[in-house]
Amino acid sequence: MTDPGTLLLGISDAFTLTNLLFVLAGIVTGQVVGAIPGIGPVMAMAIAIPFTFVLNPLAAIAFLVGINKGGLVGGAIPAILINVPGTPDAAATALDGYPLARQGKPQKAMKMALYSSVTGDTFSDVVLITVSAPLAIVALKMGPVEIFALMVFAFSIIAGLIGSSLPKGIAAGALGLLCATVGLDPEHSTPRLIFGHFELYDGFPLVAVAIGMLAVSEILRRLAVISRQGLPVIHLPEEQPREDRRVGWREYWSCRYTLLRGGCIGTVLGAIPGVGSTAAAFISYAATRHASREPDQFGKGTLHGIAATESANSSVVGANLIPLLTLGIPGSVSAALLISAFMIQGIQPGPLLFEEQGRLIYGLFGAMIMANITNLAVGLIGLRLWTRVVRAPEASIFSAALLLCIVGVYLSTGTLFVVLVMFCFALLGIVMQAFGYSTVIFIIAFFLGQRFELSLSQTLVILDGNPAALVNHPVALLLLTFAFGVIAWYGVQGRRE
Amino acid sequence: MRRLLTVLGLSLFFVSTLARAEWTPDGPLHLQIGFGAGGSTDTLGRLIASEIEEQMGWEVIVENKPGGGGVAMFSGISQAPADGQTIGIGVNIPILMNLVLRGDKLPFNADSFDYLATVTVAPLAIVAKADAPYNDFRELVAWSKENDGALLGFDAKPQEMTIRAINANNEGQFKLVSYKSGAESVQGVLGGHVAAGYSGGAHIQYVNSGDLKVLAVATADRHGYSPDTMTLREQGFDYAVEPYFFLAAPRGLPDDTRDALVAALDAAIASDRVAEMVVNTMHAEPRNLGAEGTRSKLVEGVADIRTLIDAAEG
Repeated sequence: MTDPGTLLLGISDAFTLTNLLFVLAGIVTGQVVGAIPGIGPVMAMAIAIPFTFVLNPLAAIAFLVGINKGGLVGGAIPAILINVPGTPDAAATALDGYPLARQGKPQKAMKMALYSSVTGDTFSDVVLITVSAPLAIVALKMGPVEIFALMVFAFSIIAGLIGSSLPKGIAAGALGLLCATVGLDPEHSTPRLIFGHFELYDGFPLVAVAIGMLAVSEILRRLAVISRQGLPVIHLPEEQPREDRRVGWREYWSCRYTLLRGGCIGTVLGAIPGVGSTAAAFISYAATRHASREPDQFGKGTLHGIAATESANSSVVGANLIPLLTLGIPGSVSAALLISAFMIQGIQPGPLLFEEQGRLIYGLFGAMIMANITNLAVGLIGLRLWTRVVRAPEASIFSAALLLCIVGVYLSTGTLFVVLVMFCFALLGIVMQAFGYSTVIFIIAFFLGQRFELSLSQTLVILDGNPAALVNHPVALLLLTFAFGVIAWYGVQGRRE
Repeated sequence: MRRLLTVLGLSLFFVSTLARAEWTPDGPLHLQIGFGAGGSTDTLGRLIASEIEEQMGWEVIVENKPGGGGVAMFSGISQAPADGQTIGIGVNIPILMNLVLRGDKLPFNADSFDYLATVTVAPLAIVAKADAPYNDFRELVAWSKENDGALLGFDAKPQEMTIRAINANNEGQFKLVSYKSGAESVQGVLGGHVAAGYSGGAHIQYVNSGDLKVLAVATADRHGYSPDTMTLREQGFDYAVEPYFFLAAPRGLPDDTRDALVAALDAAIASDRVAEMVVNTMHAEPRNLGAEGTRSKLVEGVADIRTLIDAAEG
């Protein structure tokens, strides 16, 4: 168990001016990129990672977490103003945010989104901070067999939930796993699928794959379809009663159950690998409408609708770190990106992290709380400003982003070969999206691939190649049963449709 | 006559030291790192580079050339001009393994380099939980026989070879569980998933806290944090693995160039900052074997690994 000294040291590490500046930079970046439809916090994080290895670990991780948190606030802005979500997570926010803006209260809608976001975020951070250290002790008891079963379970959920069809989800996941087998095999160090390139001995570099798939492919796709027709004009009414511009304490307090429900849904779903914040937002919205006494108000601009979605999608962020910090398993693409940021710093996430890097982890927790406060402050000041960002010229933004992608990948490895790898994966990303295969599933499978293979080989040794020996590992057996249950359930549902 | 010779000798000595002191890189010195950004080799390389910049006033450019545990980087170094402008830092074990297993496919061999220095050797050991019913490796071998097999965690090929050799020649009944790093192997031991495991430093804090005990030291010499633990050799298993971090340049450096580089690296490795990093994050101590010592480690290492593989195949 971590002693209070480490805890205090860690938290005091977080509250330095340098870290505050990096958190602030992260939040501002996140809110801006979130507000621009088309690019989002995930892309910004992918681009930023190669640049973070010059920072100290705490500043680097705090910066990236800041982008992630800021992005969730920023994404709601265009959803409310022009009915185009800045990030997929904010799609549900448009349901009630846009109608409220049409009623002439865009600022009220944006402020409610901001408050709900920060509330949900703080809620899930508190859960993360309280449960993850004890959970890490339990996680240490999870052996290779249990980890293997957990990953199978995570894959089944990811394949079932993300994307349109289960078979395509499984195919995308399998392709990700295949790409993860490139390089030396974990057991006997035999090179596989390298075609004479020593550079590939360690596999495809994570950063190049992530940037290629998530950023470059999206940028190229967007550049190809840029339309000359402008976005709708945004008009922020200047003269209007004060209560139409702000959210009063009483209005906020009346949403307390909605916020709590959203926070709980987001936290629970966030702790399960693969579900993601978009799903959390829609589920919370549906649950709130179901529980409401005035369900017909939903979709017409009720504050409860905004509170439900924004509290849920933001509370996924903190909870996503629970499996990441305790098991080393990322629950989402942004968590997977955080893993690669940890690894660039030479830190391996997993159950021993609390023991070996306790100070860093508590520093990270401190930074997250700081990020929430900063998010609120920046949001209040920036909301009016970001309304201009929503209409930023796509051509210049995307060209700048593309340049950053190339420079970042080159810097992280120092070879042009890896830039080439990045473009190959960008191409693969475009092709996969064109045919309806989810790149998100691909990336998570790719990131988990090496670990998955390793735990498979460990499992085979431990079980002596005998599946019946699973009986000695009841937790693993249970997880595998769930996994097949999930696949069967979604398979049957798919056929019905 | 004798006086004349002395004078001649002295002046020669002065001329040579002057020449040695005079060699400086013509432009920036490129220090290539055989691994990606982050991780111990990268951190060590960057620290050494900044020490050289500070002490010698040379401009040092650090370049990451990851791939194949350093094979990609040393392939490049072996083809670079031998002018002292390009040197590389890597780890000996993956290079040796590749030379032995796939030597015919590599563009270099152990003689393709001028070796400059070693930085440190990882304190490789086999560890078990403190309350395990065996106290040294001999007892673990016996335990594995009595219990019809024991799980043992490892994270690098030579460790696997050593245990397979012990299975083949000393009647060990080990089943090998592969881990990605020594830290994960320690995690497996602490979690009770394997009976014992290899670790290259991650175990020391747990040995000190009383959670783990060292069954055997896997390098040639005993370790300071557990001075009573015998090496594998002392326990009657004639195998030792010594993971060294080392620096090398293309073969055929002019003498003054090589001497200047060796001296600059020696000073950098002896610096407080490098020592602090090696002690704190790698749980080892700086150890520079010098140009000749590094060379023999690598050249003899190839033969040692070959013997090990033969033993493993029994």
